[in-house]
Amino acid sequence: MAHVVTPLDQPSSYKDSQARVDRQKQNELLAKSSTLYVGNLSFYTTEEQIYELFSKCTTPEEGGGIKRIIMGLDRNTRTPCGFCFVEYYTHAEAMACLRYVSGSKLDERIIRCDIDLGYREGRQFGRGKSGGQVRDEHRADYDPGRGGWGAQAQRLEIERRREVEERYADAQEGPGAVAGGGGEWKEAEGAVETTLKRGRSPDEEGDRRGEARARLEETDHDAERM
Amino acid sequence: MSYHRRRHNNRGYDDDFRREVYETPEQKLKSTIFKLGEVDPILEVPRITKQLLEEPALNAPVISEGFRIAVTEQPFKIPYYAALLRELYDPVEDVDESSTASPTLGRQILDDFWKGFQASLDKLAWRDMRLSIHLFAHLTMAQVITTQSMFELLRSFAAVLDEFGVSHGRAKKAALCASEGLMIAGPVIKENPSTNVIDIISAIQAYIESSADSKRLVQPTVALFSDSVTVEAADEILDSALATLQILNSSDFSQTAESYPQPYLVAPKPSSAPFELPSILVPPEVIELDSLHTDSGEDALVKKEEWAEFYIRIFDNDVTPDPTTPAGYAVRSGLLDLIDIYEVNRKECARLLLEFPKWTLPGTFKPKPGAPPQDGVSGKDWQLESTLIETILGSLFLLPESNYKSIYYVALVTELCKLSPSTIGPAVGKSIRKMYGLLSDGLDVEVALRFVDWFAVHMSNFNFQWVWKEWVPDLDLSIQHPKRTFMRRAIDLEIRLSYYDRILKTLPEPMQNPDMKLLPVEAPGPDYEYDDPSNPNHDAAQTVLNLLRGRAKAEDVMSHLQGLKNTLETADSDSNVDSIIRSIAVQSLLHIGSRSFSHFLNAIERYLPLLRNLAAGGISSGGSPSFEARKDILDAVIAFWKHSKHMVVIVYDKLMQYQIVDPTDVVAWTFLHGRQFVATEDSSSFDAFQWSLLKGALDKANGRVVIARRRVAALRKEEDDRAAREKASDQATMEVDAEAKPDEPVVESAALTTALKAFATLTREQRNALSRALNGFVDCLVSQSNPNVRAGEVIQEKAWHNRVNWNEKEWLAWETWGWYRHFCRTFSPYLRNYAKTLGAVSFARVGPAGDPAVELFRNIWNNATGQEA
Repeated sequence: MAHVVTPLDQPSSYKDSQARVDRQKQNELLAKSSTLYVGNLSFYTTEEQIYELFSKCTTPEEGGGIKRIIMGLDRNTRTPCGFCFVEYYTHAEAMACLRYVSGSKLDERIIRCDIDLGYREGRQFGRGKSGGQVRDEHRADYDPGRGGWGAQAQRLEIERRREVEERYADAQEGPGAVAGGGGEWKEAEGAVETTLKRGRSPDEEGDRRGEARARLEETDHDAERM
Repeated sequence: MSYHRRRHNNRGYDDDFRREVYETPEQKLKSTIFKLGEVDPILEVPRITKQLLEEPALNAPVISEGFRIAVTEQPFKIPYYAALLRELYDPVEDVDESSTASPTLGRQILDDFWKGFQASLDKLAWRDMRLSIHLFAHLTMAQVITTQSMFELLRSFAAVLDEFGVSHGRAKKAALCASEGLMIAGPVIKENPSTNVIDIISAIQAYIESSADSKRLVQPTVALFSDSVTVEAADEILDSALATLQILNSSDFSQTAESYPQPYLVAPKPSSAPFELPSILVPPEVIELDSLHTDSGEDALVKKEEWAEFYIRIFDNDVTPDPTTPAGYAVRSGLLDLIDIYEVNRKECARLLLEFPKWTLPGTFKPKPGAPPQDGVSGKDWQLESTLIETILGSLFLLPESNYKSIYYVALVTELCKLSPSTIGPAVGKSIRKMYGLLSDGLDVEVALRFVDWFAVHMSNFNFQWVWKEWVPDLDLSIQHPKRTFMRRAIDLEIRLSYYDRILKTLPEPMQNPDMKLLPVEAPGPDYEYDDPSNPNHDAAQTVLNLLRGRAKAEDVMSHLQGLKNTLETADSDSNVDSIIRSIAVQSLLHIGSRSFSHFLNAIERYLPLLRNLAAGGISSGGSPSFEARKDILDAVIAFWKHSKHMVVIVYDKLMQYQIVDPTDVVAWTFLHGRQFVATEDSSSFDAFQWSLLKGALDKANGRVVIARRRVAALRKEEDDRAAREKASDQATMEVDAEAKPDEPVVESAALTTALKAFATLTREQRNALSRALNGFVDCLVSQSNPNVRAGEVIQEKAWHNRVNWNEKEWLAWETWGWYRHFCRTFSPYLRNYAKTLGAVSFARVGPAGDPAVELFRNIWNNATGQEA
């Protein structure tokens, strides 16, 4: 069913302007991606609010769910700057968001969702000159949810800002700074009966995380081209 | 291609951007057909007829493809497509005398269209089939298709109902094909002396009577004491179709003309011979061959069960159509098809829904405000907006689940409100009030949950404006009364989508009163038990917290905990030191992860070895049984997040994802300790929060089996392909030998062996989780050793009629029954698989036979697992 109207889950003009793969390759990757870019968020919207809305498109009975949420941060201030990535376990869940959630309100703002090539290190930070998103560089209107013009924000917003400003002060950069969210089920090693499960050593764990990263890098196309 | 390009400007964003697409001549030709009726279908038919007749003959396949798409994607236009085909079938003016020998364009299209119908049949694409049958039925009325062949077609669908062991899903869809065809073509079929419409009607009736048992399980309002297969507040779709057919038949289908547009009737009888539909057989359902079995031999392929469809009625018959009448059924089914087809684009769907009256007979709906007055047809003259909302909510509230995710229907209502706020808004308000009223009258617990979820998401799109004041008097009801529960839950969900202070502001003063327990006294935040310096373990916990804050290595934290344990043991021999250590460790971890979901994930990932060690009963000399350890972990989570149900659900999900705890642990814990948020102390109740934990755990167990099955299937296919390639290359290189080598046994790859082992483990886990859940419900409702008297009382008719006097314990018992019912129907496909083993274990522990509660418990189980009562 897609002849007389355009489905809402078609890829839009959104793209990662710094991705270094051609459009066709991008489209192939997008057709399998389970990551969403979510834009036009209020700076005060929390990951838990995002989780609540975006969990309405999950299909856990098919092995799906929200894998992780990566909040977009201002490069300099380490405060949310109005976008995030939501990563699911399945492609179908991300598609469902394009059909049902994109264009509806979260925290009283109309948000937009786009299918994304997948999170890569460093993409959690804004790319604008001032540290935030490029779009906020040139914005001429007053937008209380996105920093307004300054101190005129409403009192409620000030309360929320105080919390938010400290929340991500500890945000790290570099490999492993962003959690993976948990991978697929794996047989516990050498432990069939639950009572005698031995604890894993930190080294083993390091390996497992290494694996998760290796998987992630399969979708890291820049590396592929370099 | 969208031909209604509209641009929305959302604060500088253009969210509807589409690339320009160049239209080929074929696409143009098709869109001519799609666009029929954009202004006035009656006037456009002759023009498009002429245009199509001018097309070169080789374009006929493109045109019939256009018809196929148009009919299956724009069913509201089918009567006009029938009129167009009628014109093309027997063109009034012969364009070219010499062409009379070759079939007319209309006949070619119909030939082609039939081939497409055959293809839908082979794929069992039911909706496409049913809508094609609509077209055939209209063409039969237009005398283009012979009555006899149409009747035979419908009879082939009715024959499905007599198949041995037919699934309800298949029977339902076949019955709808037959009935809707008959509703439209009935007038001429009944006239024909060699056909007998009663054959079809009685086949449907007989099927409905034989399938009555399972209906009770999916009714949207519940009367636990009653055996009735009908309910006041909802109509079952097959029942509606049958009632409609009976009304039509009793008046020789004279009401068909008042229910469906028949624009083709003005045309004379075609001069060329009418079209004969070839005879068909509805092919059997494809049985997916999957040689995967669980280790105890159950079939592992789970097939979704289809149930009776009860659509809730919110308004009176003079406001919205009664689907058990001909005109009402036509409108209702037309809207349901639109909602179903346009799921891919909710914005277009909303627009088409608001335009729907254009495609109905005049007088069906009240004219738009401001439009010239028009005489309503008596018995119709319905309100469009109320009809739309009622139909969408009917789809949203289908049990055990809606066709699409709930959020689709919620988002669709939002789009309607955006397009026409002044007319849709009041209909939404009235629907909310009506549904809220039903909460006192046995609204199913799951429907109530979807209702509150819709309410909260809807309000979050419209500034949280609701007239809460009108529900203030209900604060006098029992705290577990469904209306109080609704308000509490609505506020909780609104806070999740927004934030505490924002929602508090929207509530009238009496509701803000903490004594009403409608919302917490402060924003739902973490609660680190050891923050308080007076806590005896405050200092110990601080040392752990400092290590975690300093990002100490997991092994260092573990040895520190070990030391702590030794100290505590010498200081205090009475308390359970293992539990205290686990609580300190887990709460401290949650504490460093409490800033956000990501912080929590980071904390968990950094200390996975620690958590695994704790979960396995580590850091304890005796090595206590690990369920105890995992129970302590789950306890620590709820202690830390006691003010936020949302966080509990999120944390449990990830603890399962990281395999710190198993789904079965969460199931067991939910029944034993999940009552923390219930306002009353009651050891045998089960509420919506517990349901969310239970569902999360069972979904996780089932989802893992799905993934494992997929992996096995993929590996097997890979191996088959490789074997086939090797065989082919062997044959190519080998001389044809007199002694052909016997096929060598296929050696399983290591990957496949691992995948099969994982599959076996996970299906075992799945069965354990389901079994634990069933046992849990036995304990709640019908335990022999610990009988629940209240569970027996609330299912009595007399008690139900006296429910105004129920206290919270009675309401909780009633709710517990509701969740048991919903558990059975939701997980029915899985339960069916394990019915014998699960039933045998759990039913050994129930109270005596003959006890009404035990009988009801068993009936629900039997209904859900498809066993004879």
